[in-house]
Amino acid sequence: MTATTEIEVKSLDFYYNGDARALQNISLPVYKNMVTALIGPSGCGKTTLLRCFNRMHDLYPKHRYEGEIHFQEKNILANGVDLIDLRSRIGMVFQKPTPFPMSVAENIAYGLRLKGITNKSELIGRIEEALKHAALWTEVRDKMNESAYELSGGQQQRLVIARALAVEPEVLLFDEPTSALDPISTAKIEELVVSLKKDVTIIIVTHNMQQAARVSDMTGFLYMGELIEYGTTEKIFTNPDNKQTDDYITGRFG
Amino acid sequence: MNIEKKRKIESFIALTLSGLAAATGLFWLLYILSDVIIHGLGALHISLFFNDPAPAGEEGGGLRNAFVGQLMITVAATLIGVPVGILGGTFLAEYARGKKFARIISIISDIMVSVPSIVVGAFIYAILVRPLHHFSGWAGAFALSIIMIPVVLRTTEDMLSLVPWTLREAAFALGAPYYKVIIQVVYRGAATGILTGVLLSIARVAGETAPLLFTSFNNNFFSTDMNRPIASLTVSIFQYAMGPYGSWHTQAWGAALVVTLFILILTIAGRLVLKWRYKQ
Amino acid sequence: MATSPQKNFSELIFLSLTAVASFTVIFFIIGIIIVLLNESSLAIGKFGLMDFLTSTAWNPVTGVFGAATTIYGTLVTTALALLFAMPTAIGIAIFVTEIAPNFLKGPIGIAIELLAAIPSIIYGMWGLFTLAPIMAKYIEPALQNTLGKIPALGFLFRGTPMGIDLLTASVILAIMIIPFTASISRDSFNLTPAVVKESAYAIGATKWEVVKNVVLPYSKLGVFGGAALSLGRALGETMAVAFVLGNNHKIATSLLDAASTITVSLANEFTEADSALYLSSLYYLALVLFIMSFIILAISKFFLLKAERKYSR
Repeated sequence: MTATTEIEVKSLDFYYNGDARALQNISLPVYKNMVTALIGPSGCGKTTLLRCFNRMHDLYPKHRYEGEIHFQEKNILANGVDLIDLRSRIGMVFQKPTPFPMSVAENIAYGLRLKGITNKSELIGRIEEALKHAALWTEVRDKMNESAYELSGGQQQRLVIARALAVEPEVLLFDEPTSALDPISTAKIEELVVSLKKDVTIIIVTHNMQQAARVSDMTGFLYMGELIEYGTTEKIFTNPDNKQTDDYITGRFG
Repeated sequence: MNIEKKRKIESFIALTLSGLAAATGLFWLLYILSDVIIHGLGALHISLFFNDPAPAGEEGGGLRNAFVGQLMITVAATLIGVPVGILGGTFLAEYARGKKFARIISIISDIMVSVPSIVVGAFIYAILVRPLHHFSGWAGAFALSIIMIPVVLRTTEDMLSLVPWTLREAAFALGAPYYKVIIQVVYRGAATGILTGVLLSIARVAGETAPLLFTSFNNNFFSTDMNRPIASLTVSIFQYAMGPYGSWHTQAWGAALVVTLFILILTIAGRLVLKWRYKQ
Repeated sequence: MATSPQKNFSELIFLSLTAVASFTVIFFIIGIIIVLLNESSLAIGKFGLMDFLTSTAWNPVTGVFGAATTIYGTLVTTALALLFAMPTAIGIAIFVTEIAPNFLKGPIGIAIELLAAIPSIIYGMWGLFTLAPIMAKYIEPALQNTLGKIPALGFLFRGTPMGIDLLTASVILAIMIIPFTASISRDSFNLTPAVVKESAYAIGATKWEVVKNVVLPYSKLGVFGGAALSLGRALGETMAVAFVLGNNHKIATSLLDAASTITVSLANEFTEADSALYLSSLYYLALVLFIMSFIILAISKFFLLKAERKYSR
């Protein structure tokens, strides 16, 4: 199986508040239908990098991108990019489960409604599909009209994943999705991530190295805003080229 | 007596005094409420609700016109004040979040909440009554809405700010524009809090008298014309209580009971809504 | 940032609507100041500033008006009300936060909220029909026979106790502001971190000492802010006072005399004012009141904000 590049990051710099540089000269390819993990100690910039892919930084003033990110041949950092369209094609799951204050079904329907789908039977069909895709269907099929807050933490996170999947994105970004969950829910989510990659390209940020080793195909190690090393997960974890990578993996720092 | 004993006694005395203070507070509440209930119950005849005022000194008058007028003015004020208050609070909590002028508007709003309501009445008199050469129900409604708007605005702002930011981000991440994020997600999250704010603001203006004294004035006849002076319960209470007739005093108590009950029910409902929400 | 033109348009509309709505507050306050200034310009022109504030005249017939009597009444009733209310309110706050068993805290809290919700006209009516007679029959004569006999205080209790006077008005006003002040004080007290109180107890302090030396100093700012806020509200109270004060434009030295406040004057005379100068003078009074309460409320907000900042460290 040859690897196609879905996203190409080219010499990316990122500045907060005008001149506080958080990312320096990042270049890496993200391959289609694979799981790419971003690891590194706290404050290394992995979440900052993740939020560049769906331009979440644009919600806040005084941010600055330099360099390019190519998604399917187009530079998504350019002026004039339709952010609303971008975000429906590159979705995001956050650290804490964020169900909307609505019923389970309405949560999933939300993204679909945004895209203009109002036909009731179509909505119901796609909701069921999304929930099955997120391995949540059997658990919530008779709770569809209950408040999403009634679900457990792990279920809420899978609900949020289903919600993101419903709009059929091409890429799904995960920002430390299991750090607020118990081990059993964590395992379920990790299983889900691996099973999803055949349909969606996944980029996952995690501070848990073992999680990265378990779920990802490619791994990037960041430190102090720079990409220290990037390669197959197997190589990074067993035989890294860079000494800093090795030190981090073996727990000598971070 | 050693010092330790002395301190213990001092503590006991001080705390007993504060217990007395609490008892005093409760006492006034019970005394006033029971007075209103006792006097008011005696006045609750059907005639109070279904008759219009009788000529001065005659028996059998009622306050039907005042009940209707009060309702109309309060509803009008709510229809004006609540949307403006909610939208204004939305601006401060969302689009203008963190900006300096938003802080200033917020602070001025807080001050407006406690500004003398009679001054508001005088203000409306100058701009809505004198130029048109007559009092009107609308003038009264506008005066009340000036009092309502800052209250609703501040509660809306506070309630919206309580909704966690990540919820908004999650909606953005799905590709929603900001105004949809606000209307479809944030409002839902803050709905019960905003509702409580609205109920409490209605309770506040339903009992106001001063702003109506020179705006909607009063009307001894039944009228539903908001363009003319219209009767209100609160102004009628003022007029009747200060008047010389026993029958007027009785009616004033009856009206006072109704107004008090209405406001207390609204206040309790507002608190209950909030409590019920947080139980979930 | 180019999004579909339709969505951009809706976003713009919503943003403009909310922005305009929030600016109405500014319009109101500026509008009120402009209108008050405009309406009182006739009186300001005729009487000036200092003369108006210090003149005790109030004669609709000869057209001479002064604010001193009503300002006096406003200040006296408000000051007395605060004097009566503050200790009670703080006592209630101490009771609710430190002494009351948990099952009582809720009900008493609700009772305070309900008291605060009762409209001022009800207080006024109750004052007229229930309190004033009691004051006239029992309390005021009692005061005359006790405190009134003390030479230095005698002047305060001179006159026939009719119940419609500064004292009764102050008592009603006090009852009105107790719930509000108690509520704010209670919220300030609750902000004292439990650890600080616990360390005081751990040294062996009595409950009262913890309140006096830890809670009260910690909540100073909040309590001041609350007091100033209550003061601001009391200044603007009309209906609670209008029933039991009479409307007598004179500087009353006895608490048992009828008097007038700015709000009561306005309530009673506004619609009766038959000359432009009369009405303008009333507006002048309203302007003075507005400025007074605005300043006090701004001071209270200053303290309350300071307290907030201090505690959210």
